[in-house]
Amino acid sequence: MTQTPDTRFPCEMVSGVPVVVTPDAIDITNAGALRAALLDCYEHGHGRLVIDMSRTRFCDTAGLHALVGAHKHALAEGGEIRVVISDAAIQRIFALTGLDQAIPNFTSLQEALPQPPAS
Amino acid sequence: MPVEARLRDIQAITDAALSRLDDHELLAELLDRLREILQVDTAAVLLLDLSSGQLIATVAAGLEEEVQQGVRIPVGRGFAGLIAAERKPVILDHVDHTTVLNPILWAKGIRSMMGVPMMAGGKVVGVLHVGSLTPRQFAGHDTVLLQMAADRAAAAVQSMTAQADRIASAALQHSLVPSALPAVPGAEMAARYVPGTGAVGGDWYDVFTQPSGELCVVVGDVAGSGLAAAVIMGRMRSALRAYALEYLDPGEVLARLDRKMRHFEPSALATVLYAVFDPAMDQMRVCLAGHFPPVIAVPGQPARLAGAATGLMIGVDADVQRPVTTVTIPPDALLCFYTDGLVERPGEVIDEGLTRLCRVVSADPPEAACAAVMGALIGSEPARDDVALLMLRRQGDPAGLARFARHSTDGNYA
Repeated sequence: MTQTPDTRFPCEMVSGVPVVVTPDAIDITNAGALRAALLDCYEHGHGRLVIDMSRTRFCDTAGLHALVGAHKHALAEGGEIRVVISDAAIQRIFALTGLDQAIPNFTSLQEALPQPPAS
Repeated sequence: MPVEARLRDIQAITDAALSRLDDHELLAELLDRLREILQVDTAAVLLLDLSSGQLIATVAAGLEEEVQQGVRIPVGRGFAGLIAAERKPVILDHVDHTTVLNPILWAKGIRSMMGVPMMAGGKVVGVLHVGSLTPRQFAGHDTVLLQMAADRAAAAVQSMTAQADRIASAALQHSLVPSALPAVPGAEMAARYVPGTGAVGGDWYDVFTQPSGELCVVVGDVAGSGLAAAVIMGRMRSALRAYALEYLDPGEVLARLDRKMRHFEPSALATVLYAVFDPAMDQMRVCLAGHFPPVIAVPGQPARLAGAATGLMIGVDADVQRPVTTVTIPPDALLCFYTDGLVERPGEVIDEGLTRLCRVVSADPPEAACAAVMGALIGSEPARDDVALLMLRRQGDPAGLARFARHSTDGNYA
């Protein structure tokens, strides 16, 4: 068996920042793989990573565990992760767990990306 | 080698009769057959211990000392360590201290070795290797045969580990979730704990009294499942009890617990609710660390979420102050504490689950209220996630309770 890049969590560079798009549902069945993909993708971002959860409709404790793992890893290295949350269900979970106060979050990918310098 | 002989060898490894053995016997039998088929002197299975990152000799044929002496090889070092790190077969024509870490192998005069990774679910679970006392050239088909045996062994190991974990975590969970709730004047209680499909998880509830007579209620959920989550749950439960005796403010107790967890279990994540009831049972101070708020049912009124302010989960990073909310409990009102497995369903906003819960909670006696909620929300489907549920009802004001002085704790909890 060989290790292949995880196609469930594509990592793309947008405006020089790696962006991981998370799937429709994050739970115990894919949270471990997501965590590995986030850490892997973070390595390409010079201390920055955007997790685009705008397609995600369900995220349980296992999913939050993966996000918090990446957040703590980035903090420990002086970096930062940002999450994009547009779905009401995910916004509510972030509010109930207090994570909305701990992890920088935005409602669109555009806002989460670094702003071009004003000319 | 003639084709018939090769087929016979494959048959010996894939033999369906092996499945009738228990997993440990299967490994021993596989190793014996390998020694015969490959005409080697030793065969050994080393299993990966995830917590230490070491391979531990577990079953051996030929050189049983490996197992008896508890040989441990770090992944990435030496012959077996290299196989695990690179996830591919390695053949060694030269065995000494420069190529093999385990001194037993070269001290006993092993000259040639061949090893393959044991993989299950895309992950390395161990290494299977064979060795010969006479120099020899292992061929490609020898490696193929050894890999077939390793695949078979990996499946057996997977099942051994899963079973051992299940038994241990169920025993741990059983020993930690109180089977009998304390008798407390002025309160009636009932509780349920149901493991999720497949594995026991990290949910728990706890009820205890303070020397002052205050009643304390804890409900928590450690992310993850199986033995790892159950072990962390046990540590959190003990630590919380210890801090509860030292600090009166629920927010302080959870802050201490958080600091302890972040230091000693830096990869753990959990939600916790901690509530302290006055001896008169007419109010509780509750602090939420990312946990869903309790439901309160007052007789004659629809049940609703007790308006408790949210605080950050345990194990994130910042030293945060979590708000403490004082909730008034009218006589005969019932409080419902629970974990997310009761209300979370894929494809819906959590509020739908919370609304569903509020619809079925009523200020009935706690046993009946538990039965009604489990019946309505869990029914006959096995729950995906584990579920902990605790119901507490304040008994109507017996005269005796009024003489308990209430602690004056109003004020600066926000």
